[in-house]
Amino acid sequence: MEATLRFARARRERGPYTMSLAERLLIARLKERDGQAFDEIVQLYGDKVFSLVYRMLGNRHEAEDVAQEVFITVFKTVDGFRGEAKFSTWLLRIAANQSKNRIKYLSRRPTDGGEIDDALQAPATAGTPAPVLQGHIDGPDVLMEAAELEALMQRAIAALDEEHRLLVILRDVEELSYQEIGEITGLPEGTIKSRLHRARMAIKEELDKHTR
Amino acid sequence: MDHGQAQSAFSDFVDGTLPERERLEVEQHLAACIQCRTELTSFRRTVGSLGKLKQAAPPSFLPDIKQQIYRRSHGRFFAPRWKLFGRIPFEWISLATIIAMLVYYLAVLHGTPSGVHPAP
Repeated sequence: MEATLRFARARRERGPYTMSLAERLLIARLKERDGQAFDEIVQLYGDKVFSLVYRMLGNRHEAEDVAQEVFITVFKTVDGFRGEAKFSTWLLRIAANQSKNRIKYLSRRPTDGGEIDDALQAPATAGTPAPVLQGHIDGPDVLMEAAELEALMQRAIAALDEEHRLLVILRDVEELSYQEIGEITGLPEGTIKSRLHRARMAIKEELDKHTR
Repeated sequence: MDHGQAQSAFSDFVDGTLPERERLEVEQHLAACIQCRTELTSFRRTVGSLGKLKQAAPPSFLPDIKQQIYRRSHGRFFAPRWKLFGRIPFEWISLATIIAMLVYYLAVLHGTPSGVHPAP
């Protein structure tokens, strides 16, 4: 109830959103159960959704499962999408909520995959490339360093509570604007900024402990 | 401006969302404070590293979702839909049912045999 009021208030403050023609056509095709539109949606937003969910959960297997659920939910409920927000925002809001639900579920079963992905701590194996920091990497030493840094970052992110974790992922990993983050979380900009600062400082402190 | 005030403005400073006057105050403090300059360097490095954590979906992602949807909907999700309404027209079915019930009620009401009188 409180979350619904928060979203309604945030929407009133921002004013109505108008979908682009391309977005409108794609959604219309999706509502008509066009298989091609389905493929386009997954290709357009698959990486973004997977990345968000993976960084929220820190576990590849769980992330694949939740990200799939996100798209299945989207396709099941797309008839109710009224275009009051950007489609990507609506999609990421579903991804954020499902990630939080999975975190809660896993926290009740800590031995069943609630911990950080092994792949973040082990070298890549055939067929399942280890997730390493994106960008140009020169050699094995640099690769190892990047993998270690990523594991360190993921642990620091995982140490945050889920609200702070979500904000830092949306802003710094997914590089969304404060307005988009507000649409997804329903939080006012001031709250987002102050929580984001606390989250960034906590990650910095964690990294400093290991790099100094 | 002291260390605490300067460091609490780091996020807005790095994002470029700090108002002009406050930005100048932070810059003045940084020019004179090596401790905050070091902290800011570390803060920037942290934010920069977070930006490199994007993770691509696995190649099997799309086929896996499609398979799930086909399995759960027993192949109905992407099946051709009703041409006339685009879906099962529940509202028309409801209306037709109401009309049929009304007609039946009226037929029963007016179809009662005349000349039948209650027993004395």
